Amino acid sequence: MAEGEEKMSCLENPVMPCAMTGACAVLSGFAGLSVVIHGSSGCYYYPRSILRTHLYSTYLLESEIVFGTVDRLQEVVSSLEAEGKPVAVVNTCIPALTGEDLANAFSGTDAVFVDSPGFSGNAEAGVKAAYDALNIQCTDVSAVNIDGICGLDLFARGNLHEAQRMLAVLGIPVRLSLAADSYAKLKEGAAPYSVSANPAWDSGVGENLGSFLFPDIKETLSALETRFPDADYAALEAEWKKADETMFYYADKYLHKYTPPVAAVAGMKSYCRFAEQMLTRYFGSDIAVSLPREEITDYTEISEKISAAEPDIIIGSTFEASAADAAFFGLTHPDRSRISMSARAVSGIEGGVMFLEGVLNALMDFQKR
Amino acid sequence: MQENISEKRLGGCALGGTLAVTAFIRDGITVIHAPQGCAHQMFSGFHAMMADAGLSRIPKVIVSNIQNREAIFGGEEALAEALDRAEEDSPALISVVTSCVPETIGDDTEGVCAAHPASERIVYIPASGFLGGSSQAGENTALIRLAALAEPKEPIPRTAALIGEKNLESEVEENYAEVCRLLNRLGIKVILRFCRNIEAAEIVRLGEAAFFIIRDERVEEAGITIANRFGRPYVSAFPSGLSGSISFLQEAGKACGIPEEEIAEAVFAEEEYQREQLAPFAELAGTSVALGFEPFAGCHAVAREAMERIGISESADGMPVKLPFYLPVGAAGVLKMLYLWRREKRR
Repeated sequence: MAEGEEKMSCLENPVMPCAMTGACAVLSGFAGLSVVIHGSSGCYYYPRSILRTHLYSTYLLESEIVFGTVDRLQEVVSSLEAEGKPVAVVNTCIPALTGEDLANAFSGTDAVFVDSPGFSGNAEAGVKAAYDALNIQCTDVSAVNIDGICGLDLFARGNLHEAQRMLAVLGIPVRLSLAADSYAKLKEGAAPYSVSANPAWDSGVGENLGSFLFPDIKETLSALETRFPDADYAALEAEWKKADETMFYYADKYLHKYTPPVAAVAGMKSYCRFAEQMLTRYFGSDIAVSLPREEITDYTEISEKISAAEPDIIIGSTFEASAADAAFFGLTHPDRSRISMSARAVSGIEGGVMFLEGVLNALMDFQKR
Repeated sequence: MQENISEKRLGGCALGGTLAVTAFIRDGITVIHAPQGCAHQMFSGFHAMMADAGLSRIPKVIVSNIQNREAIFGGEEALAEALDRAEEDSPALISVVTSCVPETIGDDTEGVCAAHPASERIVYIPASGFLGGSSQAGENTALIRLAALAEPKEPIPRTAALIGEKNLESEVEENYAEVCRLLNRLGIKVILRFCRNIEAAEIVRLGEAAFFIIRDERVEEAGITIANRFGRPYVSAFPSGLSGSISFLQEAGKACGIPEEEIAEAVFAEEEYQREQLAPFAELAGTSVALGFEPFAGCHAVAREAMERIGISESADGMPVKLPFYLPVGAAGVLKMLYLWRREKRR
């Protein structure tokens, strides 16, 4: 155990995917890159089902563990490379434990190797390992990257669209969306600056100028202005003000009828903070309990904390939804309370409005039961 | 015989199959000796399935949470800690299952279980992740190990125990209802769904069943092992399709020792029922359909039988139709397939 690393105890029904899944979430965001999970089909099916994207696997067998897995890996990678596609290999627990030199099995090729076995940590560890392995270089192009887009985020697609829209209004070109772009573009290099749709899943590429989560937008626009002074900020500032007024208007209407909602929030730290700030600003709410995934992943412990808090609304995933008799808004993966097909956002100006609208509707639907 | 390497590679891991059995013992807890990610995969799957079925109960699994430290120094301590935590809830049964990691690092899982104060209520199931084979292998191992908790008793006439229902399929309750509908024609009662939302104490009822009904060939190994252990007859699969429902009635009746005249009456009633149920699909008569890829062995045969009854022909350039992913259970499964075909015809 590394110095300072705290040993986690056993867990009941853990709510976070493993590092291998996190790595796949990043790599599969780059079109044109073939992602190979070097492990058994048992490891493959889960990321395949939640990311809903095309992934490959070596589908390892026990015999290959005994005699070494390099040949099987090379067989799969070679067949993909023969199609002219670059390949990324994501390692899993057993090949990582048996000590094969997999990283050097592809020396001299363009294959990316990500060592992120499940026992090495949660999804965020895998996200970091994937970005480290991609080794994205910055260029001096006058543009920004959109960061913090991740397949494990319920709102990834909507957040990306909203960030693209806002940057288009500003007239600032987008260089690269991380992780939702083409691999060929990634190889050409990133912009020197990034704005984040959701800081939980940031790549760390380029100088971070802030996030597009609603409470952060004004500060981020100021930071952008120092780097892109010629961009048109007035329109977005007016839009933000209008959205702010609209949200106050509807929150006021709610508060005329009801007391400020007491909330329990669960999710990645960035979304927890976002939800807390929004509820505090528009309702003057008390946040009864905030449960960041980076700090707590034991479902029973999470449920007990939420239940004890007696919240009016639970903002999190459907893992938490039944922890108390309360309204529910799905902010965190998974949300099985609804069928979701459209590109909804919680980041950006529209994302902020959508969030508050969702919270208000959830609260009022619950009141009407 | 040459091994089907593709099928072997795609079979999932034994941990998943084992949990698909043990997690459905309501008053039991499953302890997974694994990294937390393996447990999350299963928990997430259960959550999705429960949400699909409108159920709020999620089976409790405790994971020993093997991390870098345990991978290097061993995970037995972490497992003992997980067993202690499980014991705090005083569960009726603690099923201990392993992923591939403890096997690779050399943990003595069985030894830790045997040394634990709650050892009498612990059933150790060596799943070993994918090193233990496919999901199917895990299911069979779990069913066989858990069946050891029951002893043979005097069989109760006209009773059956189901073995190895597919707990993770979305139509599991609908399929069960169809089997019960057919068994009702013979006055047979299902006294145990082994293991589908049962309590640990109910497992002993395996010994009371007059015969067993195995879900399908996936759990044939466990089904036959259990049937042999209790010296009881078995029916090898849930009914598939129309004629499959008839033969199921005949086999179940025979296994239960029901007089032939009574079985014949049940068969006659079922044939009449099937004719009535197919009537709404008369508008498909004369249609030509293309069946396409067979998603599961036997689906084409079930579909063709229904086509013949209705008067549907088959051709490569016919109306493309959807087939169920698994074999349709009973007449009900066929009707659901035909509704999809009728929608295709009407749109």
